[in-house]
Amino acid sequence: MKIQSYRFLQFLNKFITYFVLTFFALVMIFPFAYMLTTSFKIPADTFRYPPRMLPRNPETVVVDGYDEPLPLYFVDVDGTQKEYALAKSNIKVGTYAPADNLTATVERYLTEVKPTGGATNQQKVTVNGEEVKLFDVEVDGQVIPMILVSQTTVGEFIDPKNPENKIFQNVRLSTPVETLGGHPENYVEVIELNNMARALTNTALVTILVVLGQLVTSVVGGYAFARLKFPGRDTVFVFYLGTIMIPFVMLIVPLYQLMVLIGWTDRLAALIIPWIFTAYGTFLMRQHFITFPKEIEEAALLDGASRLQILTQILIPASVPALATQATFTFLYAWNSFIWPLVIINVGNEKNHVLTLALNVLRGRASDTPNLILAGAAIAIIPPLIVFILGQRFFVESVASSGVKG
Amino acid sequence: MTTHLPTDPRTENLLRISIIWRGLFTLLSAAGAIFLWTGTLLPDSPLWQKIIITVTLVTASVFSGIGAVQISRRNHSGRMISLVVDYLAFVICVVAALTIGEVFIGIDALAETFTSGLPYLGIVALGYFLGVLDEYFPQKQQNSETSLKVASRWVMLGGFALFLLQVGAINGILYFLGKLAQPAGIVSVTGVVIFGLSLWTMGRAATAQALHVKTNHEQILNGWLFLSPNLLGFLIFFAGPLVLSFYFSFTDSDAFNTPSWVGFANYAKILNVRFALLTSPDQLARDVVNIKVYDEVGRFIFGNRGILFAAADKFFWLALRNTLTFVLFAVPLSVIPALILSNVLNSKLPGMKFYRAIYFMPSIAAVVGISLVWQWLYNATVGYINYFITLGIDFWNNLFNLAIVDPKIQWVSDEKTALLAVVLIAAWQTMGFNTVLFLAGLQNIPGELYEAATVDGAGAWDKFWSITLPMLAPTTFYVVSTTTIQAMQVFEQVFILMNPAEGPNNSTITLVLYLYRSGFQNFQQGYASAIAWVLFIVIFGLTLIQFQRQRKSSIYES
Repeated sequence: MKIQSYRFLQFLNKFITYFVLTFFALVMIFPFAYMLTTSFKIPADTFRYPPRMLPRNPETVVVDGYDEPLPLYFVDVDGTQKEYALAKSNIKVGTYAPADNLTATVERYLTEVKPTGGATNQQKVTVNGEEVKLFDVEVDGQVIPMILVSQTTVGEFIDPKNPENKIFQNVRLSTPVETLGGHPENYVEVIELNNMARALTNTALVTILVVLGQLVTSVVGGYAFARLKFPGRDTVFVFYLGTIMIPFVMLIVPLYQLMVLIGWTDRLAALIIPWIFTAYGTFLMRQHFITFPKEIEEAALLDGASRLQILTQILIPASVPALATQATFTFLYAWNSFIWPLVIINVGNEKNHVLTLALNVLRGRASDTPNLILAGAAIAIIPPLIVFILGQRFFVESVASSGVKG
Repeated sequence: MTTHLPTDPRTENLLRISIIWRGLFTLLSAAGAIFLWTGTLLPDSPLWQKIIITVTLVTASVFSGIGAVQISRRNHSGRMISLVVDYLAFVICVVAALTIGEVFIGIDALAETFTSGLPYLGIVALGYFLGVLDEYFPQKQQNSETSLKVASRWVMLGGFALFLLQVGAINGILYFLGKLAQPAGIVSVTGVVIFGLSLWTMGRAATAQALHVKTNHEQILNGWLFLSPNLLGFLIFFAGPLVLSFYFSFTDSDAFNTPSWVGFANYAKILNVRFALLTSPDQLARDVVNIKVYDEVGRFIFGNRGILFAAADKFFWLALRNTLTFVLFAVPLSVIPALILSNVLNSKLPGMKFYRAIYFMPSIAAVVGISLVWQWLYNATVGYINYFITLGIDFWNNLFNLAIVDPKIQWVSDEKTALLAVVLIAAWQTMGFNTVLFLAGLQNIPGELYEAATVDGAGAWDKFWSITLPMLAPTTFYVVSTTTIQAMQVFEQVFILMNPAEGPNNSTITLVLYLYRSGFQNFQQGYASAIAWVLFIVIFGLTLIQFQRQRKSSIYES
């Protein structure tokens, strides 16, 4: 009995654990899922309420006598639901009633009904103290003057197999026939609309150069800090450490003026060169190299190897995980950066836009087509996700360790 | 004196040439500095440029002279000075040549053709995989290179060459050479050659020997050499601008005209505030302060009376209020759930790494993209967030037979919820990152502590309260302070989500947004710099407070 209750408690514990974790996992994944599925929708589908997750396609059918394929809707015919094609929409229908009996209504097309007494001299009648126009409405072969009570628009739905079978009902209140299906061409459209291909190339180029440049400078600098003894080293290192905490926005104004001075505004160079020298990356590499056993290096020195040879042939091959981690960090930072490109690259200069800037433009340009905006967002978000999935073994572990040390 | 090793005649000659070169360099730099002020050289450059160039040239001249004397005395410091001066001059000439050849600007042109070269980079990747394949199928011969390795190298080289060809490297090089053919280009290339030769001369082992260089001297040179790329870039693109930023904050710089010194005027404008007593809650601001100078920021009402807070720059104070409010909500919302989640994740059940990876996903996605996604989630009529709220309220109403009215929140266009909308995005994005940090901290707590506590009969809650939390204090400090520093700089979410970015009734104007507006839309860059420094002081102060609290709590611990 006691063991059983213990087992039950353990089961309950596990259940609650997985429940909580799964709940938060859904919260984390939901916006991504929403982004992806919406990016495959048609615009009308994105504005539907209640919202639906998966993209759908309205079904169409080819009917004899019509050039274009017609959209299919569910209609109610004699109590059974059938799929009918919408042949004509925006047909105006009026509800008419005699002035002395407003409940005896009949429905007629507006085009079938003529004003009583002719269009130029239409007769009127007073109802509830208001003058209302009279119309000639034919009921069972008799023409009766009636007033227009209300007016709606309906669509003409026809049976695709037998176009003679017609039914009239409100289009907006009818349910379209839909099948699951995406529109990958949204991506093509957004790329053409907003020069996203060029932005993607620019972002990739900038990111690659920043990652490579930063790796070189921080490996070499980190090695100097970790392994070489020279006067002034520790002063410079403390100075480096002190600047890690300084937020980038401090530099944005003077760095902009520096770029104006050397003529790099509106240039991709401004997004690359200032970013390949970092105190933080150098610090991380120093922390890594300092853990490396000194003896191997000393032996190599005795064999006559130069410092550069030691670095490129012994230390770097042994540091692939650390380098991969830093490369991933830098990749994400360079890929996602926004405020600096926003400041340095002109809105009009679309040739040099990076993805974040392109998204900022797209936000205004496609504000009524969320499917396109979210396709653009997906183009910007998916490559880092792929890098993350490839490098997450290194990445998550190293984020974890940076926290413990810090 | 150490014994003189015989020096070979070639080295003797090279040393003589070096001394002459150092002397020549001394004279040339000094002459350059003089001609700069007579107006022969660079007549149009502004004063500050002249001063910087003069200081550089005079320093180079002096050190070069000392170097010449020391080399003639066969002292190793001559070599060191010579190498440093020539190295810096060499770097300057290389950068000048690259600039004149428009290499940096040419990156734009590379972006145009880069895509067409990508397939060839695929070939490079293929070559790399061949090399990797080799490691999986080790062949017999150990010392000689395997055929796969050789093939891998050639495929990679060939692929890269084709890539360069495809992206127009030949045209680029021709253009580069054409640009270099003008006078300034020729001067810089000549500089590169001369300084390069001089570096080679001094770097030779025989020269080093002739000047009695010891290993630790080599190490000093190596140290500075290895650090130099990073340090130079850091000085130019970080430390220099930082000092400039401080200077700009005392000027009326507008990015176009020469800035003039205004002293503390920028800071005085930011800090120019007035408090005034209100005799009734809805008394007008113009009754109590001079509204030609001050704008009302807010009022605090106590019963029948109140205090009016007015400032010369009300936008700064609104931005400060919003930023601090944002921090106050976003930090706990991204730290406390992370702490709970990490404790749940720390169980030894299977699948935890999977969950950890999922929680991490939001923090790697571009904030700009994420904000666009949330913008549509927040949509008041068809957005999912309001839909979920409606579903929840309907469920609740049906369950308890209530009649709660669906609020249909206008998330981004209502001034009451606009900042909250930004807070939720930021909390969602940083929570997973913080969870991973906490998890690492938890895994560092020794298990014996918990075992001992279990023996003493402590419950799960006691263990959390008296072991986990105190042991996690350093991680908590790290997490809270980095999250706070990040949150103080909130900009991108606001900029993308809100239209206009200030939000309804300035409810989402933040410090960085205001800095951006002042500096890059109104072009009051001096004022923007002052805002930046105030922001820095606030961040620094908050971090210091947290650091003090952390130190206090760790004292209690020990």
